Amino acid sequence: MDRNEHAAIQAVLAGDKEAYGVLVVRHSQTLFRVAFRITGNEADAEDAVQEAFLRGYRKLEGFEARANFGTWIYRIAVHCALDKVRRRRVAEVLRAGESNDPELDQVQVADDAAGPDRLLLSGEINALQMAALQSLTATERTAFVLRHMEDRSTAEIGAALGIDPNAAKQAVFRAVQKMRRRLAPLRMAT
Amino acid sequence: MTHLTEEEMIEQAYGERENTAAVERHLAACAPCAAAFAELKSDLAEVDRIQAPPRDDLYGARVWAAIADSLPVYRPQPRSWWAAAWRNPWLKGLGYAALTALLVSCAFYAGRLFEQKKTQPPVAQAAPRPQQPKQPIVVVVLDDHLDRSERFLVELKHAELNSTGMASPMRDEARSLLAANRICRQKADKADDPELKTALDHLDHLLGDAANAPGGLNGEAIARLQNEMNAEGVLFEVRVVRSRIAGRSSGTNPEKGGTI
Repeated sequence: MDRNEHAAIQAVLAGDKEAYGVLVVRHSQTLFRVAFRITGNEADAEDAVQEAFLRGYRKLEGFEARANFGTWIYRIAVHCALDKVRRRRVAEVLRAGESNDPELDQVQVADDAAGPDRLLLSGEINALQMAALQSLTATERTAFVLRHMEDRSTAEIGAALGIDPNAAKQAVFRAVQKMRRRLAPLRMAT
Repeated sequence: MTHLTEEEMIEQAYGERENTAAVERHLAACAPCAAAFAELKSDLAEVDRIQAPPRDDLYGARVWAAIADSLPVYRPQPRSWWAAAWRNPWLKGLGYAALTALLVSCAFYAGRLFEQKKTQPPVAQAAPRPQQPKQPIVVVVLDDHLDRSERFLVELKHAELNSTGMASPMRDEARSLLAANRICRQKADKADDPELKTALDHLDHLLGDAANAPGGLNGEAIARLQNEMNAEGVLFEVRVVRSRIAGRSSGTNPEKGGTI
């Protein structure tokens, strides 16, 4: 681990709270990137980043000096982002259960299944991909983001999600298959 | 030819297959699989377009500002003086040296104790041997003497004054008992047993008269001895003392030879 980071952690544990600011400034961008890719939402990603640093601070006494702080706080951020996605899913399900307006449901479906021409014309390819990501389960989405966008190995994904590496590999397979089916209209349009 | 599964292609695309060369050879030889693999790569490349919105350089500072107030200050654990000293390399080395010296001293002392213990005779051997129970042997010898004396006295008591056949054996028995009685008297003096001493004294007089009667144990001498025995109650004394001594000696029969 970086000596400066090690020194900062020791300073924090010795009572210098401000030393933690150095670590926050250094790793915020990385954490935001992965949190955004998992949550697909800027506000949720920023919340996840802050929550990750808060959790990391509280657990700092249990942090092993030989470990890498960047890797450690990254895993915490993945968990925080995953929690955000799961909580949001639960809220959406509850909202859908409360809504008895069939017209509203129709609008949502129509918007989600917008034709590729319209998407291309409005420059919303990125939005379609984000929608494809949203269709994945929280675990599949996180596994796909870590594998495809963060170039993490299956073992690292398993460690970050707290699951077996083989289960992490299967989650990546399912995510890729779902993404391809979801993005098939876009491929035909281009 | 067996085509590649989608999972195998995904693994190949992410470079996680163990035998990528074999897959590459298959892709080179199998047009359908090559087309499917190219399509997969294209789809995955499309997803690469998703980028996180950029954050400016002050983003980290803003995150810190947002959370700093809610973080508690860690209270450093008070360190003991020895923990602080242990961090000093010189004191640490000195500590190791002292510890080593202490261990060597303990080992040396333990070795000496072990050797001393080894050279000393076992406690069981060093302890004085318990005294043999001499007293029971004396008691048994005395009991035998009293038993013989009692039989002699009984014989003397019932001896016929006119009979001369028993005179010589009785006198021999009296002499034998007289010698044994003197030894027993010496023991009785040391034992500080006045009752026994009195009985043995009376017995000594009687046995001495019987053994040394002038003219042998004739009717007159026997009659005199019987009177003497009755007057002093020698037979009664011998029986009482013998009964008491027999009670002290386990395994002896106090009634042995005690019939009259």
